[in-house]
Amino acid sequence: MAVTVDPTLLPEIQRYGAFDVAACFNCGNCTAVCPLTGDDATFPRRIIRYAQVGMKAELLASKELWTCYYCGECSETCPRQAEPGEFMAAARRFAIASYDRTRLARTMYLQPILGTAIAVALAAVFAMFMYAAHGPQNGQTLALFQFIPSDLIHSLGVAVMVVVGLAGLAGLATMTHRIARSEGVGWGTVLGSRAAMKRSVAALWMALGVESVGQRRYRKDCEAAQEPVAWYRRRWLLHALTMWGFLGLFAATIADYGLELLGIKATGTPVPIWYPVRLLGTVAGAMLIFGTTMLILNRLQKANRSVRKSQSADWTLLALLWLTGVSGFALELALYLPEAPVWGYWVFLFHVAVAMELVLLAPFMKLAHVIYRPVALFFFALRPTSNAV
Amino acid sequence: MTDQRIDTDALVVGAGIAGLQSALDLADRGYKVLLVEKTASIGGKMIALSKVFPTMDCASCITTPRMSSAAHHDNITTWTYTDVDSIAPDGTAFTAHLTRKARYVDEDLCIGCRLCEYACPVELPHEFEGNMGARRAAYIPFGTAIPQKALIDIDACVYCGKCEKACPTDAIDFGQEPVSVTVHARSVVIATGFETTPLDAKKEYRGGVAANVISALDMERLLSPNGPYGRVLRPSDGKIPDSVAYVQCAGSRDETLGVPYCSRVCCMYAIKQTMLLSGSLPLADITVYYMDIRAFGKGYEQFYQTARSMGINFVKAKVARIEEEPNGDLRLRVEIIEEDGRVTEAVHDLVVLSVGLKPGDDPRRFIGVDLDQYGFVASPEPKLDATLTSMPGVAAAGTAIGPKDIVDSIVEASAAATKIATYLGPPPNSPQVPEDGLAVDVREIKAGDALAVAGRSEVQRG
Repeated sequence: MAVTVDPTLLPEIQRYGAFDVAACFNCGNCTAVCPLTGDDATFPRRIIRYAQVGMKAELLASKELWTCYYCGECSETCPRQAEPGEFMAAARRFAIASYDRTRLARTMYLQPILGTAIAVALAAVFAMFMYAAHGPQNGQTLALFQFIPSDLIHSLGVAVMVVVGLAGLAGLATMTHRIARSEGVGWGTVLGSRAAMKRSVAALWMALGVESVGQRRYRKDCEAAQEPVAWYRRRWLLHALTMWGFLGLFAATIADYGLELLGIKATGTPVPIWYPVRLLGTVAGAMLIFGTTMLILNRLQKANRSVRKSQSADWTLLALLWLTGVSGFALELALYLPEAPVWGYWVFLFHVAVAMELVLLAPFMKLAHVIYRPVALFFFALRPTSNAV
Repeated sequence: MTDQRIDTDALVVGAGIAGLQSALDLADRGYKVLLVEKTASIGGKMIALSKVFPTMDCASCITTPRMSSAAHHDNITTWTYTDVDSIAPDGTAFTAHLTRKARYVDEDLCIGCRLCEYACPVELPHEFEGNMGARRAAYIPFGTAIPQKALIDIDACVYCGKCEKACPTDAIDFGQEPVSVTVHARSVVIATGFETTPLDAKKEYRGGVAANVISALDMERLLSPNGPYGRVLRPSDGKIPDSVAYVQCAGSRDETLGVPYCSRVCCMYAIKQTMLLSGSLPLADITVYYMDIRAFGKGYEQFYQTARSMGINFVKAKVARIEEEPNGDLRLRVEIIEEDGRVTEAVHDLVVLSVGLKPGDDPRRFIGVDLDQYGFVASPEPKLDATLTSMPGVAAAGTAIGPKDIVDSIVEASAAATKIATYLGPPPNSPQVPEDGLAVDVREIKAGDALAVAGRSEVQRG
C-alpha cells in the first residue's frame, strides 16, 4: 500500500505543543506502561512513529489519539523524557485543527493572542447584538425578558446551533470517514444485518454511556496510574462533574423551554427550590462550578503531571465554562433576591453572550473532543476487545 | 587519635583492578606506592564476579594473583579500611590526609584464623553476597579477601566479648581508635571505580521490593562457585528457576534516572551470565529484554552470536513494568516492537536487572579535579589522553573516568601509571636488578622504551 509521507508533519505537530518527541528512540516503554493499551490499541509509540515518519493520513485516521486521557504515566517513565503524553495532547489539537476546514481552530491554537481576541470580540458582538434590542429594566422584579426579548435569544440560539451543528457535522464526517476507511468499517459493517445493528447499538452505548458519560476506563485504569490525590481532586471526578454539570444545565434549559411551550411555566419566573427544573439547574450548576474551579486550580498549581504544561486553548475552555457557570449562578441569585438588583440584568446579558460563544466555538477548540472522542470510542467498541494478553 | 606521617612517590586511591594495576606498574618501575582502599579488602568489584567476558576466565583466578602481587610488593604499602579525607597540592607535590578506620582488631596480631567469627553470635546480611548470605559482626570480608584480617562491625556488635576470648593472639581491641595519617605524595592516581545504579532506582521494576528481582551483581554471586547458596536459587523461596529474565538498561540510557549514557558493560555481562546460567540451569528458559545489544569489543559480537545459538531468547523491548505475583513470580509488561507492536505480559521466576554504572565515589570530596556532568573524572584531553585530569601530577584510571569493562580498565590503569612515571621522572630508588641481569636501569630508558620496562616487569614478577 502506498504511503504518502509528509516531512513537515512532526514540526507541524510540535507547534501544537509537542515536547521534544524527536528525542524518542522507539523503545516502546510508553506503550507498554500505558494502562489503556491492549490488543486493540497500541499507543503512544505508534502515533509518535507516524509523526516521526510523516504518515499524516494514518495519524489523522487513528482512533488511538482519542483513547488517551493523559494520565502522564508514559511521560513520567519515558527514558528519553520525550513527553509522549504531551505529544498525544498536541496530536489531538492538531487533529481538531485538521478536521476543521474553516481553519478557525488552527488560528485559535497557533495564535493564542489572536484567538483570545476573537473569543472576546465574539462575546462582545453577541452582547451588543442583544443589547441593541433591549427594553426597560424593571426595578420591582427581575423581568429579564423585558430587558432582552426572549424571542431574540431563542432565534440567536437556534442560529448558533445551526452553525455549530454544520461545523461539527463536517468535522465529524471527516474524522469518521478517515477512521472507518482505515479500520475497514463500512455501512454494511454497522447497519448491514440485524446482528450488525445490534452490535452497533451496543457499541454506541459503550462509547456514549459507559465510557463518555460513565468514564469507566478514565476512572478505573487511568486513575490508578496517577499519583494519589484527595478524592475530591481526582481528575476523572472533576472532569465528570464538569461534564455532568454541563449536560445537566443543558437539559434544564431545554426542559425550561419545554415547560414554556407546554404553557406550564414561563421561562424566568420564580419557582421554589424543589421545583425539578430549578433543582436540576442548581445542582448541575454547582457541579460545573466546582469541577471547573478545581480544574483551574489544578492547572494553576500544576497539581498533577498531566497539567504541568497548559496551553492557551486549555485556559480558554476552562474560562468559558467557569464564566458560564458562575454567571448563571449569580443570575439565579439575582432572580430570588427580594428586590431586583440592577446588576442582575447585566449578569444576564453576560451569561447569555458567554454561553452562546461557548457553544459556537465548540468545534474549533478543545471542547471539540466532545464530538471526536465518542466517535473513536465507538470504533473501539465495535471490535471485540480484550485486554488479556 | 594519633598522627602518622609518610612519604610516597604515588598515592593510588582505590584498590580495585584499575588501582591495583596502576600500583603494580608504578611499583615495578621502582616508585614507592601507597595504595589505599576504603573497604576492608582490596580487589574491588572484580573479585566478586563469577567469570569474565568474553574469555570466560574465572574472575577470582585472575584477580587474586594481582591482589597478592600488590599486597606483597616491596614498593607497595597497602592500607585497607582507609578513607581519603583530602588531597591538596603542596608545591609540586601533594599533602593528603587519610583516616585509617578502626577495625577493632590489631592487624599485626591477627592471623586470619576466623575463631572470632565462629564465636560471634551476631548474624547480619552479607554485603559481599548481595545480602543473600549472612556474616557475623566479627568477620573477614570474604574468603579471598586480602588482607585476611578480621574486623568488627561495631554498630552491630553486642559487646559480649566472645571474640575476645576466642582470639588466640589477643588481637581484638575494642579500644582501638581511628588513626589520622598525613601523607606527602609526589603524585596521585584516582581509581575510585564505580557503584551500580540502585536496584530500586526505577520503581516500576519493583527492585528492592520484590525478592526475586535481583541485580546483575547479585547474580554474579549466585553463579559463583563460592556464592551464597553454592547454586542458582531464587531468593524468595529457594526454588530452582525455570525461567529467568534479564532487563537491560535497567539503570542506563534513562533520563528519568539522570543516567542518559550507556554503561557499556551490561549487554556483555548479561550475555555472559545467560551462558553461565544455561550451564547451571540447563532446563531454564532465559530471556533477555534489550533495546540494543552493544557488543563492541574484540570477540564480543561472536560472544553474542554464540549466546543466540545456545538458545538464549533475545527480545527487543524495553520492559515498562514488573509486577509481583503472590507466589513470587514476576509479570513483565513489554511492547513487542519488532513485530506488530502489541503489548504482551510474560511471567518469569527470577528477574535480573542489568543495573548501570555510576561513579563509585565523588572525588571532589577530597581533591579538586574537574568532573563531568555525571560525576566521572573529566580529562582535558578526553580523546588523546584519557587518564589526564585537570591537576598536574594527578591521573585517573578505570571506571572513575567513565563506564568501561575490565579489559579497558586495566589498559587505562597501565596508561595512567606510564603518565605518572613520566611526570615523576626516574625513580629515586633504582629498581632491584634480578640475578639474571635482564632488567634495565630505568634511569637509562628514553621515551618510547616502554616495552623494555614491560619486559623487565614480567621477569621480575615471574
